[in-house]
Amino acid sequence: MTKMTADTPELPFIRVTGLRKSFGAQKTLQGVDLTIRRGETLVLIGPSGEGKSVLLKHIIGLLHPDAGKVELDGVNLCSLAERQMANIRRRMGYLFQNAALFDSLTVEQNVAFPLKEAGLRDKGEIARRVHEALDLVELAEHKDKMPIHLSGGMRKRVGIARAIIGRPECVLYDEPTSGLDPIVTDVIDLMIQRMQKRVGVTSVVITHDMGSVFKIADRVAMLKNGVISFIGSPDELRASADPEIQNFIAGRSGMTA
Amino acid sequence: MDSLLGLLALPGRAFLNFLGYLGQLGVLAGELWDSLTKGRLRLRQMMEQVVVIGYGSQAVVIVTGAFTGAVFTAQSYFKFKDFGIGSTIGGVVSVSLCRELGPVLAGLMVTGRVGAAMAAEIGTLKVSEQIDALRVMGTHPVDFLVLPRLLAMLVSMPLLIAECIVFGLAAAVMVGMGAFKIPHVWFWTHVVDHTNLQDLLFGMIKGFVFGILIVVISCHQGLIATNGAVGVGQGTTRAVVFSSLALLVANFFLTFLLNYFFPLGKAL
Repeated sequence: MTKMTADTPELPFIRVTGLRKSFGAQKTLQGVDLTIRRGETLVLIGPSGEGKSVLLKHIIGLLHPDAGKVELDGVNLCSLAERQMANIRRRMGYLFQNAALFDSLTVEQNVAFPLKEAGLRDKGEIARRVHEALDLVELAEHKDKMPIHLSGGMRKRVGIARAIIGRPECVLYDEPTSGLDPIVTDVIDLMIQRMQKRVGVTSVVITHDMGSVFKIADRVAMLKNGVISFIGSPDELRASADPEIQNFIAGRSGMTA
Repeated sequence: MDSLLGLLALPGRAFLNFLGYLGQLGVLAGELWDSLTKGRLRLRQMMEQVVVIGYGSQAVVIVTGAFTGAVFTAQSYFKFKDFGIGSTIGGVVSVSLCRELGPVLAGLMVTGRVGAAMAAEIGTLKVSEQIDALRVMGTHPVDFLVLPRLLAMLVSMPLLIAECIVFGLAAAVMVGMGAFKIPHVWFWTHVVDHTNLQDLLFGMIKGFVFGILIVVISCHQGLIATNGAVGVGQGTTRAVVFSSLALLVANFFLTFLLNYFFPLGKAL
């Protein structure tokens, strides 16, 4: 981690500037500006199909923007080649919306994968850390199963274990609690909070679960019409006078039965 | 007028698309080179692929080689006997198997069996975001998926070609002796007189080139797959068609190029 002295203003950990991305005629991101501070949990909300996942994929360099840039610790990720991104990505964890587990590997092998790829060879240490990560998501007894034999929620939890096992500085979660029961949702929310408090992990979380938003967020950003339409604390979100935000929080569509 | 111009533009657009496609293959070949020189050698994955490509393709290559050798022997004998030289077909069959039939048939069989599997497997990984999962963990997909397949192919192809030639010759001997009563000694004398190490080298070099073409073209189709199961299916079909065509076109040019370095003996 970069050390900051008292007289230098702290650089944002991640800074997104003027990010634009279109897919054919569809303009998904139309100039997103966003800063993410080191150690905070930023929750990204907004209507479906507005490009929240696209934004997250730009932050980890899976997509290249049409314009704008993403900086991590002042390094412009958009200017790096795929091979140069490897070391940056090993500092981050990423949970895919569909978990994206390797279907030819067992749960244990999936979770151990980032450690082996990072060069860890001590089998005992790998086994211990895999058990620890799976225990955290309450799946230790399923370690020998193949992903095909897991439910959607279980797959997502394995994905979370795989995202955090490398002890990343920052974890990007794409809907970590969708499809999970309320108890497991609470476990995942607590885990995100615990990682932030104990080891200062920065988290960016996409979620539609407003309960999770108010439980885990330090700040909330709303992505709408391709731009960040709101950013502030959960209290500021709650107090917002914008009827669209209030409808979103309350889950009101405005339609009648 | 506009429709006429559109019609005239079609070949130009097709040519530009073809150049673009070649460019993409070139980029993948460059990535493979980077992978070979800067990446990590993954012996385990490579050995797994040797089993899939080499061990798994033996049956189809052996059967293809044997029956082609047998049929080629029969057709050659039917014509050669008119000139009273039916017993010399051993030389023709062995040279043809080493220089052309062995590498081309083994290459086409491997394309159908392995090229299709490569495109389908990598394509499925692509559309299910498993390749993106590799990338977010700092693993280059070409290092992990393509390089082990290429190295395994380069190990397997010469052995498969050798099997194709050996079983083709064995079948030729059986047909020559069994059906046409060509004396065993005569047959082998012609094989040995007219075939040399350069003929084998000729076939092996072709096999190496075919192997590279099959892996690059098939893996590229997997890596660019989009649009779910339909996209994977289309990519798999393209992988087999493009690899087969590339192999046949490359074979034509390689035949002339290699014949310059290893000219066919004048005895035939």
